[in-house]
Amino acid sequence: MELLSDQGLRLDGRRPEELRNIRCKLGVFSQADGSAYLEQGNTKVLATVYGPHQPRGQSRNKAPHDQVFVNCQYSMAVFSTGERKRRPRGDRKSQEMSIHLRQALVAAIRTELYPRSQLDIFVEVLQADGGNYCACVNAATLALVDAGVGMREYAVACSASLANGEVALVDVSHLEESSGGSNLTVATLPVSGQVALMEMSQRFHSDHLPKVLERAIEGCKDIHQILDGAVRKHVEETGRASGWGQVDRAGIAL
Amino acid sequence: MQDIKIRLASERVNHSLTFGEKGAPQLFTPGQTITDNQRVMSGHGTYLDEDNKDVLKASVAGTVERVNQLICVRPIKCRYMGEIGDVVVGRITEVQQKRWKVETNSRLDSVLLISSVNLPGGELRRRSAEDEQMMRKYLQEGDLVSAEVQSVFSDGSLSLHTRSLKYGKLSQGVLVKVPPSLILRRKNHFHNLLCGASVILGNNGLIWIYPTSPEDESGVGGFTQNLEEVIDTEDRERIARLRNCILALAASKLMLFDSSIQYAFEESLSYSIKELLTPETMVDVALHTRHRLQSYKDD
Amino acid sequence: MLTTKTFLRKTKRGNILKIVREHYLRDDIWCGSSLCKNCSLKEKDKVLDKEVISNVSSVFSFPHYLVLDTNVVLHQIDVLEEDVLENVIILQTVLEEVKHRSSPVYRRLKDIIENPNRKFYIFVNEHHKDTYVERKPGETANDRNDRAIRVATSWYATHLSGSQPKAKNKHVSMVLLTDDADNCQKAKAEGLIASTVYDYVKSLQDAPTLLDKLSKKDGVFEGGSKEPLFPLHLSPKEIQDGLKAGKLHQGTFLASRENFLEGSVNVEGFEKFILVQGHAGLNRAVDGDTVALELLPESDWVAPSDIVLEDSEDDPGDILDEEVKMEKEKAKAKKVEREPTGRVVGIIRRKWRQYCGILLPSQDKNSVRHLFVPAERKIPKIRIETRQAEKLKSQRIIVAIDAWPRTSRYPLGHFVRALGNVGDKDTENEVLLLEHDVPHSKFSDQVLSFLPKLPWIITEEDYAKRVDLRGLTICSVDPVGCTDIDDALHCRELENGNYEVGVHIADVSHFIRPGNALDKEAALRATTVYLVDKRIDMVPELLSSNLCSLRGNVERFAFSCIWEITKNAEIVNTKFHKSVICSKAALTYGEAQAKIDDKNLNDDVAKSLRGLNSLAKILKKRRIENGALVLASPEIRFQVDSETHDPIEVVAKKMLETNSMVEEFMLLANISVAEKIFQEFPDCAMLRRHPQPPPSNFDPLIKAGNLQGFEINVESGKQLAESLDLALKPENPYFNTMLRIMATRCMMQAVYFASGMLQKEEFAHYGLACPIYTHFTSPIRRYADIIVHRLLAACIGADSTYADLLDKRKSHSLCHNLNYRNRMAQYAGRASVNLHTHLFFRNRVQDEQGYVLYVRKNALQVLIPKYGLEGTLYLAPPKGQVAKVNFTYNEEEQSQSYGSIKFRVFDPVTVQLSLDRTNVQHEKLMLLLVKPEIPDFSVPSQAAADEAMDVDQVKDTAAPSQPPSKRQRKSK
Repeated sequence: MELLSDQGLRLDGRRPEELRNIRCKLGVFSQADGSAYLEQGNTKVLATVYGPHQPRGQSRNKAPHDQVFVNCQYSMAVFSTGERKRRPRGDRKSQEMSIHLRQALVAAIRTELYPRSQLDIFVEVLQADGGNYCACVNAATLALVDAGVGMREYAVACSASLANGEVALVDVSHLEESSGGSNLTVATLPVSGQVALMEMSQRFHSDHLPKVLERAIEGCKDIHQILDGAVRKHVEETGRASGWGQVDRAGIAL
Repeated sequence: MQDIKIRLASERVNHSLTFGEKGAPQLFTPGQTITDNQRVMSGHGTYLDEDNKDVLKASVAGTVERVNQLICVRPIKCRYMGEIGDVVVGRITEVQQKRWKVETNSRLDSVLLISSVNLPGGELRRRSAEDEQMMRKYLQEGDLVSAEVQSVFSDGSLSLHTRSLKYGKLSQGVLVKVPPSLILRRKNHFHNLLCGASVILGNNGLIWIYPTSPEDESGVGGFTQNLEEVIDTEDRERIARLRNCILALAASKLMLFDSSIQYAFEESLSYSIKELLTPETMVDVALHTRHRLQSYKDD
Repeated sequence: MLTTKTFLRKTKRGNILKIVREHYLRDDIWCGSSLCKNCSLKEKDKVLDKEVISNVSSVFSFPHYLVLDTNVVLHQIDVLEEDVLENVIILQTVLEEVKHRSSPVYRRLKDIIENPNRKFYIFVNEHHKDTYVERKPGETANDRNDRAIRVATSWYATHLSGSQPKAKNKHVSMVLLTDDADNCQKAKAEGLIASTVYDYVKSLQDAPTLLDKLSKKDGVFEGGSKEPLFPLHLSPKEIQDGLKAGKLHQGTFLASRENFLEGSVNVEGFEKFILVQGHAGLNRAVDGDTVALELLPESDWVAPSDIVLEDSEDDPGDILDEEVKMEKEKAKAKKVEREPTGRVVGIIRRKWRQYCGILLPSQDKNSVRHLFVPAERKIPKIRIETRQAEKLKSQRIIVAIDAWPRTSRYPLGHFVRALGNVGDKDTENEVLLLEHDVPHSKFSDQVLSFLPKLPWIITEEDYAKRVDLRGLTICSVDPVGCTDIDDALHCRELENGNYEVGVHIADVSHFIRPGNALDKEAALRATTVYLVDKRIDMVPELLSSNLCSLRGNVERFAFSCIWEITKNAEIVNTKFHKSVICSKAALTYGEAQAKIDDKNLNDDVAKSLRGLNSLAKILKKRRIENGALVLASPEIRFQVDSETHDPIEVVAKKMLETNSMVEEFMLLANISVAEKIFQEFPDCAMLRRHPQPPPSNFDPLIKAGNLQGFEINVESGKQLAESLDLALKPENPYFNTMLRIMATRCMMQAVYFASGMLQKEEFAHYGLACPIYTHFTSPIRRYADIIVHRLLAACIGADSTYADLLDKRKSHSLCHNLNYRNRMAQYAGRASVNLHTHLFFRNRVQDEQGYVLYVRKNALQVLIPKYGLEGTLYLAPPKGQVAKVNFTYNEEEQSQSYGSIKFRVFDPVTVQLSLDRTNVQHEKLMLLLVKPEIPDFSVPSQAAADEAMDVDQVKDTAAPSQPPSKRQRKSK
């Protein structure tokens, strides 16, 4: 299957440097401390954050004394893929994704602010159409910002792949992923340009690495702008309603 | 036949009330540079960039507060951060040697030392060995208490005390949990509302609504818990209505204090208590409440 | 702007999946026309003309752009390739459908599009926000595509009208060409200008011959029988169901060369081929098609036919009558010889291509319908329509097949182009090359641009990167007249008593860098093709005969493989270098042999050659002990007249010691390199294997040997070699050679493969009896060697790898192409030899000694060693004639007898050779029996006949010029 036509269009009509449509919303759950819902193309992800709170149960021993204990859980809904598939919680793939998720987020969270506390991050993939990990990282970042957890900056992830051995494509969908090319997933802190996690699904020749990596990092920067815009909008809306926490002497919101 | 209300997700009611009067103050998001002035100090919600020590960056999303050289960024929503003198409502999680652990919706559980409570039999009794064994008789796991923050430990956890008759174990009533940022800091957190119920507005976001006892307030404190007393239907209804009003106000992100709750109660009288749970009604009540607050302010 | 495409698909297990895909609609897709004022086109995107010639067509006499429907592209690609049609818009819908349905047509379409003179523009209508069309519920996919095409056409009309004056004759309109009547009707109803291809082509004013090229896919087929002649083909769904249920089998249909009513189908999982016979059994399958086959019950199984049956020369019309003959044969076959038989019930995929051949003009002078006879015997005749029959009847033409309806005895096709006069050597060469799919066009300018610029000098930098071996006494030994010298050798004694032997191969990979046009062209050609009088080079001559060729006394780049070898030919160590060499002498086999034999010569070259020779003998002996096979095939060489380039004489190739010497070291080099690259790149090394033939392949050999009283043991290569060595008949020295020739025919093809695709046990080379082998020593004429050079260079760090080199799958598909091209080159070479043999015999009648190779029911296959050719000596006369002499065929004994005379395999006979030119396309060598004499059958010997004839065959025998020679070492 041709990933890139001669006219420079991909299978779904995007150009190689264009991202999929991203829609997101913060504060979708009232019970959780922070929550966010993110759609990247047809990939839909829900993230919730609880904490920081007192570690309960077995985690009591795990909480380090100088850092927060970050507990990530990644899971995919049974109905998230084309065929309905029973996924036992805690299976290999979920665990691996959880570990990767944790790695990316811990790079962004200011863990020294909450020693001996526990931070729970739960991510559920409702519909998987490629770029699941990236959408999860982005959604988790938004949920963390919603919860007011101190972070150095956003943790943003993006994927890129190679078409015809020459052109790098950003934000690969499931169809493009399964067409056999290798995919590079990168989680970065966009403002400082640091890379938190980098993963490749297959090997390709080292000559191609620079351009694919560059494309992915560009994609991260673009996504960062979109997420930042969404956060600002949300903060403005909620802040405005409560008057920015400032009240006059009569106790009325200003 | 009960009415079951089913609603499509796309037809969700938007609880936010639009103002449009004043422009927003400047917002900062994590990773954004606030200033590169060397002489500022970083407060909550900010940090100094590792590479360039002059640059101050925000670490949460919110508005900036400036007190002389100290710059803080206050997030819209976060866990309760205790300060000395705050009134909190909490639940006992553990009974340990010489102290109780109280869960107060903050980063770490708070601590209630046995030396900080009023034991039956008046004050200034020596803390004998029997007292420790009898701790469980006074406060068990799962009990709700109201207390005041005495001090803050170095790791951020709070030390509480109930050395006043108005604090102590809570008996019959309803607990409501709201985001801590919606609770206004005031002198008094114990209110007897005109509507006929009483309310404790904990700074940590936990609100306790209980029927106004006919006796004076001193009966609230201490460790007596009168669970046999039957609260009559009217009181229950009033308390239920209050609860729903508070939830309505919280959903629309209005600040909670005695006046706003009082007005909300009055506005809600046009609806039945059950109706107050529907989103449209909640928005309506909140809108009216704000309107009244606004009009009183203008007066 | 975003929509979603939702469709349902069924998985293999039978679950229904709902697939949802995003489909982005863009607003930055331009129309490609130079006269458009609204689109922001860049210069290179303005494909369609501003000024369109207006009176190209008589019916559509206004300037217009054409929009094509899918069926037009698929079926009328030949018409499209003509230069007459310009300013054509190809919609993305059409392009994708064509790609999906037929890749050859797709490739040809892309070639047309890439030619800027044709002005074909691809419009991406599926992603354009105004022309995207969503499937309505209940609409079929085809209808939806048709609607999309119509929407796009009308969009173009409105889009362009904004930029143009309204006047009719200046206004560029849109014309939709479609062969689908429904679509045409709907388009006209919507106000579009639409036409069928036939009408349009007919109305073109200066292309009368274009009508001939129209394919008859949906056209009315005049004539044909009233009743269907063939059974119905099953629909694709029925075939799928049948395959899944196990009732039907899928395989490739291979037509029999001898019997046009017989063929076999190669089904995976079946050891033997399944036989199909008769018109109904073959059911319109053409050689190479993938067919669906139904096995007949065992009671209906038949034996493969022993007769040689050809389709009649004249046009029999649309009737089938050969069945009768076949029926008689069926009854006689004994049960044990019967083979699994089946019948073709459907065609899964056609493998039609363009065929060369000649026209068989019809009896009726005015008729337009003629029969075309392909050069390839396995392809049936094709019925075409042409108005140029008079002009074409003496020419070789190319024809493509369109369809084979049930009512027609022959498939229907259309004329593509003419090649030249029949029998003309150049035309015949061209036919040969086309039929064997050999790319033989001139190297394009783009390819030549990657050659190094002359004068070429070796710089200091080059010397620094390579090992300097200019001081060694290196020499090359090659056939006479060889200009592309691939390899050179040297040998010298070391102080410790061992020898240092080096094999130096031309460093082609230095000049051909991966990925550029030169590399791609070489990869496509895969090998140099050696015809008798021509050589089709794989790489341009500058490289093959000059810069890469290791000519004498010139400094050249080489890739050296240097061993330290004991006097007993045991390898102590092996080294590989990129080097610079200066060959001291470029010798022929004869010259080298002379130098070795001449005891007075003791210079370095002679000593080097003697050392190599003695080591080679030991190596050969060792190889034979290990079980290497020594086989034979009749190798001959033509001496060609320098002026007319006609063959004068046929000479057998002689094998000297020096042939064997060079061969041994080339084998050793190949083995050493194979081991090294496999060690470094176990996943993607390009190796060569020769699989062991299945025991059944050897049956004819064993049978023939047994009949002569020899036992042939075929359990392993070694045992076969030993059996062959023992099968000697002192009174008939050629007998052993013939046995070896038969053995060669039992062998499988040696093929290239990528090491990651097979298990290590399968790497073995049966013929050479070594566990691992590759091709390293001839990069000038084989592409596989260039790949091996690149891998080896990466091993020693002299060059870097590139992505495709390490990709196992890319290597695998490259091997596929290399194997195909190699096979085709071999066939082409043989066909060229055949052609020249026929040319040679055009004016000659000669008696020659021959041996019977196979005994058939109605003929003997006779091998004539002098010319290395095989001919058929018919024992029964052709159809329609009465036999004067009736031979008795004994199948058990494999013999034919008449009276006291008996013909068996390996029996010597004398035959008269002449050329039967009655069939212009297939000139046949006619063999008539001379000895043993049989009255009323055999002919008198030529000697007797010569006296009676005028001798007028004296020609000027100029000095025979040397043809570019074929490598004597066979491709192992």
